[in-house]
Amino acid sequence: MAEIGHGGKEIKERIMKPDEAKEKIKGLAQVPINKQIANEIIDISYGWFTPLEGFMNKKQVDSVVKDMKLPDGTLWPIPIMLDLSDKEIADYGVENGKSVVLTYQGNPMALLEVEDIFEVDRTEMCQSVFGTTEEKHPGCHRIYNCKDKFVGGKITLLKEPTINEPFGPYFLPPLKMREVIKERGWDRSVAHQTRNIPHTGHEWLMKGAFFQTHNDLPVEKPNVGVVVNAIIGEKRVKDYIDEAIILCQNELQNAGYFGPHNHLTSLTFWDMRYAGPKEAIFHAILRVNLGITHHMFGRDHAGVGDYYGGYEAHHLLESVRDQLDITPVYSMNWLYCPVCAEITSEGLCNHKDQQQKFSGTLIRSIVTDGVKPPRLIIRPEVFDRAMECANKYGAQNSPFVNEEYLETRTPVFDIEPL
Amino acid sequence: MTDGKNPIYIWVNEERYEKLKELGLDKHTEERLAGMKVLTVYATNEEADRLVKEFGAKHDTSTTGSIELLPPYLKDKIFDKVVEKKSLEVVSDVLKEV
Repeated sequence: MAEIGHGGKEIKERIMKPDEAKEKIKGLAQVPINKQIANEIIDISYGWFTPLEGFMNKKQVDSVVKDMKLPDGTLWPIPIMLDLSDKEIADYGVENGKSVVLTYQGNPMALLEVEDIFEVDRTEMCQSVFGTTEEKHPGCHRIYNCKDKFVGGKITLLKEPTINEPFGPYFLPPLKMREVIKERGWDRSVAHQTRNIPHTGHEWLMKGAFFQTHNDLPVEKPNVGVVVNAIIGEKRVKDYIDEAIILCQNELQNAGYFGPHNHLTSLTFWDMRYAGPKEAIFHAILRVNLGITHHMFGRDHAGVGDYYGGYEAHHLLESVRDQLDITPVYSMNWLYCPVCAEITSEGLCNHKDQQQKFSGTLIRSIVTDGVKPPRLIIRPEVFDRAMECANKYGAQNSPFVNEEYLETRTPVFDIEPL
Repeated sequence: MTDGKNPIYIWVNEERYEKLKELGLDKHTEERLAGMKVLTVYATNEEADRLVKEFGAKHDTSTTGSIELLPPYLKDKIFDKVVEKKSLEVVSDVLKEV
């Protein structure tokens, strides 16, 4: 039976058979690409970006920028573009109607059927997608620093990536994820977007969302799952290292705070654009394609600085709910109350002057010092796993990204020779 | 910032708190989150400069004046020295030993 993704389109993997790939690329120019583009090739090829079949052409980009839609009317908030310099276009003979091979790590990764080479009004694009044209916004910075031109065309993966340890079990592309969800027997599932190791505030965000999602379902059998979907992409100094994010999230299940009957850890390759409300819609689309029925959205989802209002993403999502095949689950913050002596919701507890809020800075400071906190802040098993990851994968035994980690880490995936 | 008033925050979990309690130093801690407490020791300006230059710390001169991002081993050493000396005046001793 066909698996239907965003926009009512069937999810189809665009992956060539190895022998066919070798034959197809003979004599074609080979164009090196960077990690962001390699991530997005995986997203396109496995169906995370359904209904996209490749990098956008100008008509698609213009439509997304102007109307937040693809030309056929399908909701789409963020342009997906391949940028090349004028020199690369000339040197590699990139032309409309021709195919080229996109290479990553020196090996052929994907076939690109070039259908359009174009420029965009970057300022207009930034204003539309990010609501600002400021260079200091990381999304604008990325757009302004793209190479001279954009190249649109269909993509086909030539060889499946090798997912390196410890990420393999968590690489669940849309068709695989849908199989797993069926195997678990979940009637509903709720996506938790994350780039953090979980403290108990996060844990209760997930548990709260579990109950919101469960709602009116019968309780005789497990039928709701929390799908932790970690965004793995561009890292910045002081982010948590990817290995710690994935393994600490999964530790919540290993240690029994959740179980396989209601929890699944997974990843999606994507460089955050920090587009706030529009990125919230984009995240919803990714999870529609993963076959997830509900999606948690907290305060300032995918925001940065003070560019977006705390609940602006919720408002935009509400305005397009009929175009998204996923139910948003809006979450309030969880905090610690010494009177209640428990983690509680800001929507429940009325000891307003005694509440102790989770602060990312405070948690990072505790983790940096390696002093095991009370289990009411970070589960001991999660903390131990974070320290283990720091020693095993971190540079200078740190669970945080630093320059050395960026230079020496093992890539999340490799593209092997054909 | 007056000399000797550059705070270094040392996280105190239950295990550490018990040690401080035995020494009568628990009154110097302040609760931050769910029982996790913090103990504040102070560095002079000269010591703060050394911590920044030699140990990669960051001196938050714009807001709290605190010394951040000290390596965990150095913070452990500061805590151990507090316990050993039964005093919060320990930064100079620690710097002599590292």
